[in-house]
Amino acid sequence: MPDATGAPGSAPDAASRPAATRKPGSPPEATLNAALAGRGAGGAPLAVLRERARAAYDALELPRWRRSGFWQTSFQELDLDALAPIAHAPDPRLPEILAGARSAGVLVQRDACVVHVELDDELAQRGVILCSLEQAAAQHTELFERYYLRRLPLDRHKLEAASAAFWSGGAFLYVPPGLHIEHPFQIVYEISDGGSAQYAHTLAIGDRGSELRLREYDVATGEVAADALHAGQFELYLEDGARCRLAQLTDWGEGAVSDCSTSVVEVGRDAYCHWLPALLGGHLIRHHYELVVAGQGGDMAFRGVLFSQAHEHLDVFAVDLHETGPSGGDVHWRGAATGSSRASFEGLIQINPGAQRTHTYLQFHSMMLSDAAKLDAIPSVLVSADDVSASHGGTVGELDEMLIFYMQTRGLTRPQAVKVIVEGFFEPLIVQLDDPPLEQQIRDRIGVKLAAASDDIERYALAR
Amino acid sequence: MATSLEIRNLHVRTEEREILRGVDLVVRKGELHALMGPNGSGKSTLANTIMGHPGYEVTDGEILVDGENITELPPHERAKLGLFLAFQYPVAIPGVSVANFLRLAINAQREEPIKVKEFGQQLRHAVELLDVDEGFTSRHLNDGFSGGEKKRAEVLQMAMLRPQIAVLDETDSGLDIDALRTVAEGVKKLHGEQGLGALIITHYQRILEYVRPEFVHIMMDGRIVMNGGNELVERLEKEGYDRIREEVAASA
Repeated sequence: MPDATGAPGSAPDAASRPAATRKPGSPPEATLNAALAGRGAGGAPLAVLRERARAAYDALELPRWRRSGFWQTSFQELDLDALAPIAHAPDPRLPEILAGARSAGVLVQRDACVVHVELDDELAQRGVILCSLEQAAAQHTELFERYYLRRLPLDRHKLEAASAAFWSGGAFLYVPPGLHIEHPFQIVYEISDGGSAQYAHTLAIGDRGSELRLREYDVATGEVAADALHAGQFELYLEDGARCRLAQLTDWGEGAVSDCSTSVVEVGRDAYCHWLPALLGGHLIRHHYELVVAGQGGDMAFRGVLFSQAHEHLDVFAVDLHETGPSGGDVHWRGAATGSSRASFEGLIQINPGAQRTHTYLQFHSMMLSDAAKLDAIPSVLVSADDVSASHGGTVGELDEMLIFYMQTRGLTRPQAVKVIVEGFFEPLIVQLDDPPLEQQIRDRIGVKLAAASDDIERYALAR
Repeated sequence: MATSLEIRNLHVRTEEREILRGVDLVVRKGELHALMGPNGSGKSTLANTIMGHPGYEVTDGEILVDGENITELPPHERAKLGLFLAFQYPVAIPGVSVANFLRLAINAQREEPIKVKEFGQQLRHAVELLDVDEGFTSRHLNDGFSGGEKKRAEVLQMAMLRPQIAVLDETDSGLDIDALRTVAEGVKKLHGEQGLGALIITHYQRILEYVRPEFVHIMMDGRIVMNGGNELVERLEKEGYDRIREEVAASA
């Protein structure tokens, strides 16, 4: 662990509020209500917030979430003492995943350090800021303090507290009012080796009337044979009238990376966000997403793609929160599972009192590609206003043998036909990215995962 | 590539029951055949079995292409030999456009991927042939298509994949008269231009008025009970299946 900035126990309100109400003797477990803070811990200097987080870190145990059925998402096996931040010198070489891409700016964090930042000169002159979060805290303190942890708490569980207490490097992006930027900003978090503890934090702001594209990549750059951890926090604030297309691609590969992260996007008055996380690989992932429509006329499209294979464990909790109305929401996720993987999508629509004339819809579609895999969808709706429409829906699909036969008669082999079906299953979401190189990246990665699972898929089909 | 499709004493069953009970039939490249018969006589079973549908079990007999037994071949290998099936009920492939699917299917059957220009030319030609509008090929295959559009999409695929011998399973059913004419003209053109051999399965005489097959076969209760030329179509129109059934029963 890095040095703490404060003494344990110095933040009584954090320490006295553990991750969840618990029965005596039962392990701590995050619940729906504890997950929905809605308000963040920010508004104080960084040193104070780190102190509070450190206190919460000391007081809390590693988290565990009980999923539907008979399984759970637990980080309690993780040996934090075996993990440490890994330092790196600056390195101007662009990561492979950005090859050939045009960017407005790039920031790369390798393990614990930001190793490269580049920003288009003209954008810098027009007031765009892209730098490490460390640098932002020191040099753009007023902006930093206005937004940092505005919507994120720091004490719901030990790994959230660890991220808030120990983050290093980090990414800060500020787009000034009215600026429309065509090419994407790209932020990359890399884990290079086993034993790495990466505490990541991204803070991005689209000021009034601005328009931007933002991509975050969470990737492993080598074979991560021993345990490694990414505990990340991501915040994006879209002020009045701002528009953003946000994509987060998480692919830790087949190594032993655990990822416990929280992302929040706040949409202001008449602002809009199209948000697509793609969760395409990782040993153990728990990701909590919160989309808060905070201003009248705010609107969002929240898309998501998840694909688990082999022994991967993938747990998503997504909240579509409306604080005021009229506002719009449209949550549409799709997931597929192969091998003996476990995946779960828990989606919640919450409409607060006063958020009248809100219209939102949540849907999750799943496709089973193995009888040993589990893929659960748990939608719920909490409505505290009376003039709204909020509903949810979903489908559970399996490979359609008639469809496979149809394609075989056109000359496709069985694995080719399966690939077409699975790609077609995700395609309605991928094509909405409106970003051909990124779309292709996601399609390619899905193709690789399918190829790796093809024997397993075949066995499943023959057994039915 | 297939120059002849020969079916010998074919017996086929599903989990529930035996459907084909000894079918014999030969279709050569360049020949147009019609297969008629009442509902439930086994026509669609024959079509699906020719392509290797896993739900149908061949219990006896053989399917031969150019003398080689293909009864055990998987469906995609049969497609590579030049066989094709236009489905009675084409299935939708959500998320995959007509054009993309065609490119995949064409590339699946060749060593080198087809050149963009060549593909474009072939596609334009096929689109004209089938009288569909340009936007058609960017729609998801069969997804939300009308009955007529699905059948046109089947013939469009046939035009692009250039099979030697195709089975058309009630491609005419559910079509209005204009769509029927378009589809029939398409089949005739492929017959003329590419030397397509076809086995046209139908209930109705109408498509046969346009296509004019040289060989007509009548199937009942899992067997082909009568073979002839176009005069059989006219006879059926006048007399119906019952007379033929009586005649077959008498001669048995």
